[in-house]
Amino acid sequence: MNLENTKELIINMGPQHPATHGVLRLVLEVEGEVIKRCIPYIGYLHRGVEKLSEDLTYVQSLPLTDRLDYLSSMVNNVGFCIAVEKLMGIEVPLRAKFIRTILSEMARICSHLVWIATHALDIGAMTVFLYAMRDREKLLELFEMVTGARLTVSYPRVGGVRCDINEEFINELSDFINKFPERVEEYETLIDKNRVWLKRTKGVGVITAEEAINWGLTGPTLRGSGVYYDVRKFFPYDAYDMVDFEVPIGKNGDIYDRYKCRMLEFRQSARIIKQCIEKLPEGAILAEESPKIRMPSSPLKIDKNDIQFEIYVEDRNIEDFIKKFTDVYASVEAPRGELGFYIVCDDSAKPYRMRVRAPSFVHAGVLPKLCEGALIADVIANIGSIDIVLGECDR
Amino acid sequence: MRVGEILNKVFLIEIFKGLALTLRMLFSKTVTIQYPSQKRKVHEGFRGRHALVRDPFSGNDKCIGCMRCTTVCPSKCIHIKREKTENKMVVIDYIIDASRCIYCAYCVEACPVCALVLTEDYEYSSYRREGLVFNKEKLLKNWDDFAKRWHKDFYFNKFWQPPGIDPSRWPKTKREQAPIPLRRVVEIKREVTDESDGS
Repeated sequence: MNLENTKELIINMGPQHPATHGVLRLVLEVEGEVIKRCIPYIGYLHRGVEKLSEDLTYVQSLPLTDRLDYLSSMVNNVGFCIAVEKLMGIEVPLRAKFIRTILSEMARICSHLVWIATHALDIGAMTVFLYAMRDREKLLELFEMVTGARLTVSYPRVGGVRCDINEEFINELSDFINKFPERVEEYETLIDKNRVWLKRTKGVGVITAEEAINWGLTGPTLRGSGVYYDVRKFFPYDAYDMVDFEVPIGKNGDIYDRYKCRMLEFRQSARIIKQCIEKLPEGAILAEESPKIRMPSSPLKIDKNDIQFEIYVEDRNIEDFIKKFTDVYASVEAPRGELGFYIVCDDSAKPYRMRVRAPSFVHAGVLPKLCEGALIADVIANIGSIDIVLGECDR
Repeated sequence: MRVGEILNKVFLIEIFKGLALTLRMLFSKTVTIQYPSQKRKVHEGFRGRHALVRDPFSGNDKCIGCMRCTTVCPSKCIHIKREKTENKMVVIDYIIDASRCIYCAYCVEACPVCALVLTEDYEYSSYRREGLVFNKEKLLKNWDDFAKRWHKDFYFNKFWQPPGIDPSRWPKTKREQAPIPLRRVVEIKREVTDESDGS
């Protein structure tokens, strides 16, 4: 073999590649099958959510956050609401906290189901995809029942939630949750010990604990490396400090451990939902002082001031509770990692600047580290294992 | 343990376990819905195609042109053309660009007279962009289509009366919004006239 004639080949992967989970584009410099360099290009799904929110009131920005991580829109909404509540100093009623926790965990299960479905499909296990989608369908139906939408829920409100949950929903949800651990076992029967799965995942895409922290990874991607960090435990929000759950951590930091972590999270989420249903208190679902729709006493009275940006704030002057140029950061544990909202506000009802700390964006950055030196086939497995959603990454 | 591992490796135990599961699934209850011929029941309160509620008594829309929906809309997809004639606001046209809409139903919550609704219809895709821009006639037609198909005689949208705000602070029309009759309008009309005659 004449080695002088070998040269590096540049392969463009994506943005339409089905296994890049959206519109991620990777430029791979390969030598044979081995990747020498990997450059991720993002921005194909950029919609300017951060900039748009500067033009909208806090309540109006809420539906935009649905579109960040569209597989778990509920968690995004909750994260934004918590940030604004912190800013305005609103205490959420207990029932609303529990409802939010239930739906957040449902969103987590939904999101992880899509992850296991697509990740297994990428690696070559088709059946898992069908089973996971079957279970997700049931959850989406439950979402539809409460929130009125299947994917982009816009359900929480600054200061609570939008509408109450009913008995029918709770019954159907507890039916599903009781059956769910068996379903997770089904997926595990298919892939957990499967030799093809093990060959593709064990020892591939290794990232050590120290490196993972330095790269800023969060969520199951970090926990797979054996670092104990979870926003739900460290900075509890909503009802997470009132329920009992464990944070599963891995050991080796390879794809298999990340997979294991998420599989265990399924069970923990089910556990959290079960406890929340048991403990669900009665009471209001929206705080008294939350921003509301301005309702004049007479519908025919048309006031020019009404159509200014105060429309969602009733009876209170917005300057009373937003100090000039305060800033606030609040984060929640999204299925992908720590989702943070940093809001700087001025004296208007709109954010001066909103910055979203999206876990997918950080995780996309670690791809070159994981891919370099690996084989082309492992790129797909790596993308799947860090579980990025490009809607959130590009914002 | 070693022997077990070797046996596992030779006889493909874990693969056969997986195959046994898939075989078992062959005899379980089917979950697939054959979509165009079979349809899943949509839950009440689903946010679908827009419609302007046709008042069952006057046969017209209820919009008063207060512009609250246009103001609250995060995607700025509602356009109202209105005119002031003889100290009265008249809504000439009401346009919703459904291709811009993000289906948050804030407009439905903000409407003081419950004139607007996101119905439970979800099959309204169009080959042309104009097919998704609804004007007043189209919105009223959407309501008629929806009313024809809805499985109940009365319709009430849960977003019309958002919780958390004291009902006494709602405008009277919103507070007293009753479920809208979709059928038997003639009968209801007769009942109402009978009552008024009696009193």
